This record gives sequence, C-alpha cells and structure tokens, in this order.
Amino acid sequence: MWLWFSKLGSPRWFYELSSKWLPWLYALMFVMLGVGLVWALLFVPADYQQGQTIRIMYVHVPVASISLACFPLMAIAGTITLVWKMKLADMVAKSVAPIGAWFTGLALASGAIWGDQIWGTWWAWDARLTSLLIQFFLFVGVIALRSAIESPDAAAKACAVLAIVGAINVPIIKYSVEWWNTLHQPASSISFDAVAPNPPEIWVPLVIMILAVYVFFAISLILRTRNEILQRERRAQWVMDLVARDQQK
Amino acid sequence: MPTLQFSSVSEFLTMGGSYTFHIWSVYLLFAIFISYNLMQPKLVRRQFIREQKRRALRDAELSLQQSKQSERPTS
Repeated sequence: MWLWFSKLGSPRWFYELSSKWLPWLYALMFVMLGVGLVWALLFVPADYQQGQTIRIMYVHVPVASISLACFPLMAIAGTITLVWKMKLADMVAKSVAPIGAWFTGLALASGAIWGDQIWGTWWAWDARLTSLLIQFFLFVGVIALRSAIESPDAAAKACAVLAIVGAINVPIIKYSVEWWNTLHQPASSISFDAVAPNPPEIWVPLVIMILAVYVFFAISLILRTRNEILQRERRAQWVMDLVARDQQK
Repeated sequence: MPTLQFSSVSEFLTMGGSYTFHIWSVYLLFAIFISYNLMQPKLVRRQFIREQKRRALRDAELSLQQSKQSERPTS
C-alpha cells in the first residue's frame, strides 16, 4: 500500500501509466458522449411542463454536479501537498483549478439559459445560484493566487490552504436547495419509490451523460497534469529523452 | 424502447419551434467547453516540446563552441 502510494506520487510513473490509459479513456468518452447526446437530443420525450427544454438538463446536470467534485478534489490534493509534500498532488491541484472554473462557468451559463425559460429570469440571487457563483470566484481566486506568488513551493502551500478553506462552500451549494427556500429545484433525478417516479427514458440518458462528462473530466485533468509534469521535470533525463524522441519539428 | 421525438429534420433543428435558441446555445457552449479543454493541453504540449528542442539545440551548439575554443592552443 505504501509502496503503491509513493510510486503514484512519482510524476514519471504517473506520466507513463496515463499514456497507457488515455486511448481507452478517449474511446470510452467518445462512445458515451455519442450515445448520450443522440439520446438526449433525439429520443428523450418532451416534458409536460418544460417541453423540449428538458434537453438542457442533459448538459446542465452533469456539468454542475461534476463542478462540485472539483473543489473537494483540489482540497484533498492540497491536504496531501501540505502533509506529505507529494509533488504530484500539487500538480493535480494546479491542473484542476482551471477545469473547475470551466465546469462552474458552464453550469452557471447553462443554468441561466434554462432559467430564462422555466423561471422567466436569467439570474436570481438565490442560495444555489449565489453559492455556485462564489465557487466560480474561488476557482478564479486560486488561479490568481498561484500566479501571484513567485516561489512555487509557497504558491503550492497558499493554494492548498485556500482550497481546503474554500471547500466549506461545497456542502453549502449541495444542500442550499434543502436549507433555504430557493428558486432552484432540489435534485429529483432518480427516485423509484416517490409519488411520481421519473421514468427510465428520462434518467438512463442522464446517467450516461454524467458518466461521459466524468470521463471527459478525467481526460482533461490527466492532459493538464501531464503538461505540468513535463514542465516541472524538464531538466530530468527522462523528459529530455522524451523530447528528443518526439517526431514533431 | 425510446422513440424518436421529431418527425422531420427541420423540426429537430428548430426543436419543435419554441426555445430553439435556448436549447442549441446550451449545446453550442457544451461543444466549445469540450473542444477547448481537449485542445488547449495539446497546444501547450506542442509549445513545450518546440521550446525544449530549441533549447537542446542551443545547448549542443554552445558546448561545441566551447570544445573548439578549448582545442585551440592558448599560448
């Protein structure tokens, strides 16, 4: 277990392992995205209240729910950086911040477009929307903090602390729809025993889209982390060999 | 079995007539989001390899010059 842990912490080991994973992840993502998108756009029945705009859900829900996973991931990576000083953890923490900002931004944008139709307004200072907007600013803040501190070690520590403190916002976002009376509806995707259970025609494509976007998240995180590894290990012999072997001119 | 919800291509493209813009703009943003986050790291990587190759070339030239200089008799 500890051997595995320290091996995983080696950037080179991660780089080589992820080279083997990436083609499979790409294949999985394209298949699932293809199936999910075709199903969501062509086969999901129109909702009796929302009509065709139910199709927005198949982008909004996966993106929004995974945006909530980004911050805890950054906080965990930050904790590992602070406690064990593992280099790879800080590379992951640095890579996940812009991805988290993208996910949160798209969740807000797609939510606003959807809200314009179902609520009649693009924006409301509702608990769910406001706390998600705060998460967006926290991601931007983490990125800005890292670029503002010159020493990489000091930047890693500062960002780790901000990630851990900022993670308090995640349960607030998650439970905001239950704690406060919000315009945003509570999650209602998969309920088998409720009064009005959602039929599988609605939730099966949603599950496929969530998994597809998760795989996409993994790929984009791996790609950015690999670049970070190359950049930081550029003076190591294995990276120089890799550059020399590369056919690109 | 899921059934096809649109009877014609134009009905699909206009999403049944109402809220065409809303639905397609969300899917357009999604497409931009996916393609940007897959392309950007590839461009960064390409840039990195180009820079490192240039650096390796420069270092090689520099060490060649130095070895030539040291070969020359000094006195």
